[in-house]
Amino acid sequence: MCTIDTICYQWQANPLHIPFCAINPTQSLSSSRHHSNFPLQVIEMAKIYNEREEKGEKESARNGGNGVEQLPSSLRWELLPKHVAVIMDGNSRWARMKGLPTWAGHEAGYRSLEEMVKLSCRWGIQVLTVYAFSFENWHRPKVEVDFLMMMIEGCLKENIECFLSEGIRLRIIGDSSSFPNSLQEVAKEAQEKTKTNSRLEFNIAISYSGRRDITQACQKIAWKVQHGLLDSADITESLIEQELETNYSTKFPCPDLLIRTSGEQRLSNFLLWQSAYTELFFTKTLWPDFGEPEYIEALCSFQQRERRFGQRIVSE
Amino acid sequence: MLKIFLAEKSVQGLGDWLPSISSISRYMDLSDEIVRVLIPPQRRVRSSKILRLTLGSFWCLLHLLVNIVHLGSYLINLLLYCMISSGLLQKYQNLQLDKLRYLAIVVESEEAKNTTKIKQLLGWLAAIGVKYVTLYDMEGVLKKSVETVLKSSANPSVANGNAVVSLHQDRMTIELLSFSDGKEAVAKAASFLCLQYLEGDSVGYNKMEPVFTETDVTNALKAVGHGGPDLDLLLVYGPARCHLGFPAWRIRYTEIVHMGSLQSMKYGAVVKAIYDFSKKHQNYGS
Repeated sequence: MCTIDTICYQWQANPLHIPFCAINPTQSLSSSRHHSNFPLQVIEMAKIYNEREEKGEKESARNGGNGVEQLPSSLRWELLPKHVAVIMDGNSRWARMKGLPTWAGHEAGYRSLEEMVKLSCRWGIQVLTVYAFSFENWHRPKVEVDFLMMMIEGCLKENIECFLSEGIRLRIIGDSSSFPNSLQEVAKEAQEKTKTNSRLEFNIAISYSGRRDITQACQKIAWKVQHGLLDSADITESLIEQELETNYSTKFPCPDLLIRTSGEQRLSNFLLWQSAYTELFFTKTLWPDFGEPEYIEALCSFQQRERRFGQRIVSE
Repeated sequence: MLKIFLAEKSVQGLGDWLPSISSISRYMDLSDEIVRVLIPPQRRVRSSKILRLTLGSFWCLLHLLVNIVHLGSYLINLLLYCMISSGLLQKYQNLQLDKLRYLAIVVESEEAKNTTKIKQLLGWLAAIGVKYVTLYDMEGVLKKSVETVLKSSANPSVANGNAVVSLHQDRMTIELLSFSDGKEAVAKAASFLCLQYLEGDSVGYNKMEPVFTETDVTNALKAVGHGGPDLDLLLVYGPARCHLGFPAWRIRYTEIVHMGSLQSMKYGAVVKAIYDFSKKHQNYGS
């Protein structure tokens, strides 16, 4: 017998999809004659509904649909954030809780990131920025740092083809001069190969610091003034914003929603300038346990804010 | 899978307990289709009504259960704040403030016009023993209203947007900030650094490329009158859970807590936020 949670999930996510175990009819609903054919009949119905839905999606795509797959019913496409940022915290704690070594926590965290990228593509999020390694993380034990650098390099190599096929544009932000040479090469190659993709802009912050970002922006501006490209009297906040690392080619440089996992409620030097008007969502879930339900909760929370306060701002 | 349902419902609040019309109509269409295929025509009418009723009741029941849980959670928090205020919980009475040297309050500009509430909040913080409070709102409403209030109080001393006042027999420094102290201040600091660099360059440094450090930017901010300590805790009052452009340079490792509306602020909630902060452990990335 199908459990209540399966019914809830399936009908929430997609009411027209019927799992083969969706219904367990009571005696009053079926006769013995129908009961023997019941599973086949429900499977047939499921096929019919799935075909209808696929047909609907194709028509929508032909008519200029946005390629977004069907959202969970509580999410509305027009209220989704364009740019989501994530501080992926809690890998080490997760590993400690499970009695596993730290590297196992980072591997589990990588699986969560894969899922998040997939969901972001599916639901039409346009920019996803994740905080993979902060500038301060270089102070961690060398074994852990070396493992992380190796893991990041391996993940980039492993996923280049996937980025290409899914239309994901990869960008690495942070101080790349501190990466191992091999990672610098792989990062450069991955960014170059995916630069024409446009379905999802995927920014990975490695060796990133919000303060260093602002500092390097001031430095670039000083260089431009030195070379006569700018006047020092013309330095404004928009000029600084243009020189920040998140401003390269993206239409949405500032995140609409910032999610931090593991219960900590701070930015930890991530996107300090860019997060001025960002909705902050802090969750106690550790990053390896962050999945679709938690992502939906964060997006719902963002939508609630838009529904209640976006209209008020417009009416003012 | 139930987690997805609960996750969605957890943010909808008490006002949304009725399921949406479109979701109910989808389920009704689905139930009609099932009945049409599975059940002989002469029994369809009665069976479809039973199924509709069952599914509809089931859905409403789930919504009701989730909202009861959230109502319960809200009431428990209210009770906790009352108990904290009345001194029933010993652990909240002697707060350890060693880690809390600098506290900031961000208020949405509309709510910042309520100076009574602001004064009440400052009084609470002074009573708790906080020594340094930064008040911020985007439009500078607090700068105008609170500065006037502070100037008229005993021992007024206001300079550069800061005031040292005596509240509840303790001295507390109050700093007043607005949007101009945030991004605009960094632009001024960038301009200062640029001029400083060009002056140094003209003395004959062989046109070296500019290299700035974080310390340079910090010193530049001080030089242009927008320096200040890094904040430990930031309490946000207002509808939005964001810091509304608070000076970015100073919130690198700041704990940010959303407190809800200023109108419904509670002393117990402030004490709890400070208590929770005192128990936090930060490793600063290492």
